[in-house]
Amino acid sequence: MLLKLAWRNLWRNRTRTWLSTLVIAIGLVAMIFMDTMMVGMNTNMVKNATDSLMGHAQMHALGFRDEQDVKLTINDLDQALLQLEKHPDLKARSLRIVTQSMLTSSGGGEPVLSLGVDPEEEQLLSKFDEAIIEGEYLDSVSGQKLILGWKLAEKLELGLGDRLVLTAADAESGEMVQELFRLSGIFKTGEEKMDASMVLVARKTLQSMLKLEGRIHQIALRYSKLTQDGTPVNPLKKPDDSSKNELLLWTELMPSLYMISQMTDLSMAIMGTILFLIIALGITNTLLMGLYERMFEFGVIKSIGTTPWQAARIMFFEAVCLGFVSIIVGLILALFVTALFANYGIDYIGIEFSGVTFQEKIYPSYKWSRLVLYPFMSLGFTLLASLYPAFKLWKMLPVEALRKRKF
Amino acid sequence: MEETVIVAHKIFKAFGEGETEIQALRNVDLDIKRGDFAAIVGPSGSGKTTLLNILCGLDNVSSGEIKVSGRSLQEMSGSELAQFRREHIGLVFQAYNLIPVLTVLENIEYVMLLQHVPAAERKERVHTFLAELGLEGKENRFPAELSGGQQQRVAIARAMVSKPDIILADEPTANLDSETGGQLLEMMRKFNEELKMTFVFSTHDPQIMERAKRLITLTDGRIVSDELK
Repeated sequence: MLLKLAWRNLWRNRTRTWLSTLVIAIGLVAMIFMDTMMVGMNTNMVKNATDSLMGHAQMHALGFRDEQDVKLTINDLDQALLQLEKHPDLKARSLRIVTQSMLTSSGGGEPVLSLGVDPEEEQLLSKFDEAIIEGEYLDSVSGQKLILGWKLAEKLELGLGDRLVLTAADAESGEMVQELFRLSGIFKTGEEKMDASMVLVARKTLQSMLKLEGRIHQIALRYSKLTQDGTPVNPLKKPDDSSKNELLLWTELMPSLYMISQMTDLSMAIMGTILFLIIALGITNTLLMGLYERMFEFGVIKSIGTTPWQAARIMFFEAVCLGFVSIIVGLILALFVTALFANYGIDYIGIEFSGVTFQEKIYPSYKWSRLVLYPFMSLGFTLLASLYPAFKLWKMLPVEALRKRKF
Repeated sequence: MEETVIVAHKIFKAFGEGETEIQALRNVDLDIKRGDFAAIVGPSGSGKTTLLNILCGLDNVSSGEIKVSGRSLQEMSGSELAQFRREHIGLVFQAYNLIPVLTVLENIEYVMLLQHVPAAERKERVHTFLAELGLEGKENRFPAELSGGQQQRVAIARAMVSKPDIILADEPTANLDSETGGQLLEMMRKFNEELKMTFVFSTHDPQIMERAKRLITLTDGRIVSDELK
């Protein structure tokens, strides 16, 4: 009966109730939409980062990432590959030689990061083949073809077919060795760093040049089943310490990007709390207005045997009813707005953020847990907003309320 | 021997403090017996409503003691008082004061719901009272759809349906025309005689004074006469 009373009380002043509903609903829409935007943005950034070169995970010899020592190759490669291939969701892997080197042409020289890859393997890992804007992608695991970024080509004033010399220290003696290549393709990834200082050559050629036959610096890995955060659904089995290899997820390889997604969650939580607190104050005001308008009526209700706690519950129930109506309206609006933007996307293409350039439109994306969390948050804050009016009602002496009769 | 439902002993009630203090009730002694049909009369400001509020525990006394159905009201908390009123006292107000968002049926049921009376018994009692008060067929109407007389009948049904020991009515006929007021009083008198239900009114209405079995006159917060008719 108290719930029925609260529900009907709520609709006595329809305009006020709808206005309050809209305030809560719009708050909810704002939170959900912002959240889906952030999720979409993070997904986009992670996808860009993992699709362009990094993959979802990488294996190296311990110390390679810090020292970039050409001699630090993956230990017991066959065993390591065997272990990696046991993962049920492994989709692709690319075995790479990675070395700091100097690229020289007739137009000058530039320090670059050289990647020796198997073009077929690499196609499944990164998108260099799709990023070619001039010439062609590598076609063999050996040979003298080289591709590089458009910025580097511009800096060294290079054209297709130009001769280039790559100079690096070999793994045996540390002596500088050189190899002649011919520019076969120019790529444009949109990533500043890659376009300005990275070259790709055939892996066997680079292995031979660096005296690293049969050895590998890096295995980049791609998985088919991912969580919404972009990490493999099935956890990776890390190699034993005795193997002296390390297997790292993208979250460890690019902690700054991972931090951004974590900080997004925190900032959304702070923003949500502030937004819902402001809304809660508005709801308190609405409930108080309703309380003062019906003071005499509450006096009657209390004088005929409703206990203070039961009277306070009427106010709680009014808040719960208001909260539920607002959540329904808010969720419908939020789903509609998000679906609209998820269909058309938001164009951030070319904008770089935290070292990652957006390559595609941002499509808002749900985290289903948030579709539960935010409505509960709004309901919680609506209940919080009813605490003071409920307390006033609880404390209210019926005889004083009965004196407030409207004639 | 007749059972005493209300005992008020040396009741004082003051509003305000110091120079603005007003003595609303002064040294009031009053016993209400089961089956009484009593009217508290007196000019405006004589303390009638204050006395009624004190008798049902809505207001506190400044000093003195009130016992209703053998229990001292001063010793009860707000929650206990509410429960006590629910079980033992029925209240009828001047302006009907039904809950506007509840139907006739729901208004009458309200107190019984708080008392956790089983649904079947609730329905039976409500329909009995609706029939007694001539409100059959109006169960699902909202108060705003009823005349003043009909609303006051619903208010009386709401007060009586929980079978309280006593009904306290504050100027119950003040907003009604004399014919409707008269009909209501007849009805209450009938309940008083047939069900031995106790009624105490505060009133200016000569019709109530005429029909009351006992007339308690208040002047300046004192009982100046208490006569059985």
